[in-house]
Amino acid sequence: MIASLALALTLQGQPQIATEAPGIVAALTQETVEIREDFDGAELVLYGATRGLTIQDEIVVVLRGPGRDLRVMQKRRSFGIWVNASPLEFDDVPSYYAIATSLPLETIAGPAELERSGIGLQAMLEANATAMEPSWLLSASTLTAETPVIEQPAAAPDGADVPPLIRRDAVADYLAAIARAGRRDNVFAEAQRGVEILDGGLFRATIALPPLTPVGNYVAEVYLFRDGRPIASRSASLRVEKAGIERFFYEFAHDLPTIYGLFCVLMAMLAGYLANLAFNRR
Amino acid sequence: MQIYLPIAEISVNIFVLLGLGLGVGFLSGMFGVGGGFLMTPLLIFIGVPPAVAVSTGANQIVASSVSGVFPHWRRKTLDIKMGVLLLIGGSVGSIAGVQLFALLRGLGQIDLIISLSYVGFLGVVGGLMMVESVRSILRNANPDKSAARRPLRKRGWIDRLPLKMRFPASGLYISVLPPLAIGLFVGTLVAIMGVAGGFIMVPAMIYMLRMPTNVVVGTSLFQILFVTALTTFLQAAQNQTVDILLALLLTVGGVIGAQFGARAGRNVKAEELRALLAALVLAVCLKMGWDLVVTPSDLFVILPRGAGEGF
Repeated sequence: MIASLALALTLQGQPQIATEAPGIVAALTQETVEIREDFDGAELVLYGATRGLTIQDEIVVVLRGPGRDLRVMQKRRSFGIWVNASPLEFDDVPSYYAIATSLPLETIAGPAELERSGIGLQAMLEANATAMEPSWLLSASTLTAETPVIEQPAAAPDGADVPPLIRRDAVADYLAAIARAGRRDNVFAEAQRGVEILDGGLFRATIALPPLTPVGNYVAEVYLFRDGRPIASRSASLRVEKAGIERFFYEFAHDLPTIYGLFCVLMAMLAGYLANLAFNRR
Repeated sequence: MQIYLPIAEISVNIFVLLGLGLGVGFLSGMFGVGGGFLMTPLLIFIGVPPAVAVSTGANQIVASSVSGVFPHWRRKTLDIKMGVLLLIGGSVGSIAGVQLFALLRGLGQIDLIISLSYVGFLGVVGGLMMVESVRSILRNANPDKSAARRPLRKRGWIDRLPLKMRFPASGLYISVLPPLAIGLFVGTLVAIMGVAGGFIMVPAMIYMLRMPTNVVVGTSLFQILFVTALTTFLQAAQNQTVDILLALLLTVGGVIGAQFGARAGRNVKAEELRALLAALVLAVCLKMGWDLVVTPSDLFVILPRGAGEGF
């Protein structure tokens, strides 16, 4: 609270231009989040100020993690057991996606506007699928339920790769699966609220980072909505990185894999030898 | 107290890991097995990615087999010549297994193969062990029938193979091919299943090679030590899936648990111990088999792309 007051004072101390076009500024309370050995999630606070905020205006904060390439597979029963089948590939899906809003998102803007601006989990995933479409061939949804979701047509006569044929209505199931998995790990979160509008055009957003927070570069985007449209936006960046012993071992394992492998073996041998000294003396 | 694992990239309670090491160590000390067949599925169950669970399991077995092999070394209950042959086969198997692991991970089928391998091997070994131990328990209950000792069976086709060699420590004169083949097979399993393979190696040495029982465990530990060390190294170098923090925590619990387990094991008859172990093996087999058959809670699976693809 003291921090917010201090920030409010500094922000109010700046020259105020009341009649200017609406604008928004924002800053994160920390620019890096360190994952150390005791990391069990964190809370991120974003402060911001708006210019020309009216009573109908709403604020939406989106925090997006580094993109990951995914392969989503559907489990199918074959010979009585469940086997991964029908893979569909997605590029650059955010590994973390959280939204905080001053009112429930659906009351701030309609689905068409959200889709257009790509705000919201559903809109974000659909935009991603649209971007991936050139690598798929969408077939009409007139196929029956028995036909496979994905068919890999035979390669073209000249040996070129032919993209897989995918039932148009099946893509939504894959997107829903990505959303479900993200929510399960708490890396996708759509808080109905989370943005608190303070006095003097100031606001504060609180976003939870779960224990499974991915490492990488994050972007926080802040939107000012008026009459269901974003009229101003601003972004701030955040870095989530391993620190301390976590960082040491992670970099060791990835930068010097051979030496790391030898180190692991030697440590285990040493541990076994010490255990032998401690217990097997006869 | 939570601890974040640098390679597995999850946050786990440190006492859960120590307890897991202690519990599996207790059972492995009691039954004289590595315990990898319990550890790897349990790690997957608490949320460690399967690839990391398998590789880190191998690393932890290095530690437990080092501490286990020393007493055998001192008592000379260890056939080094046989061990080296098993090891040659095992090294080739381990290298092949790590490649196969990377290939299957790229195809998105590694979880299925791990589960199927578990169900198959644990089912066969657990079933055979159960039948054998129940028979000997029944035989001991009626001592008059056990008087008729079975004559020592011949090895049959194994005796007809070429390239014979003498193994003084085991008192054997047999072809080098069966030990090489057994080593190869077990080495592949180490890489794919994250188990030491003792539960296959020990019966194979007793029933196929007819090695004397007193050198079997030491020789098995000797070869397991080197094959798991090689597997750990290859998994770390190629797939970056060995989590040293996880391995060390499991090892601490494991070595302590093994001491208590070994003490508890001395108060139980050998065949009853084998029947208990068989029951445990079958229980793990049934659990994994059930998971393959029962409808999963989510019919979709999200896999990372890029990692483990190609070589």
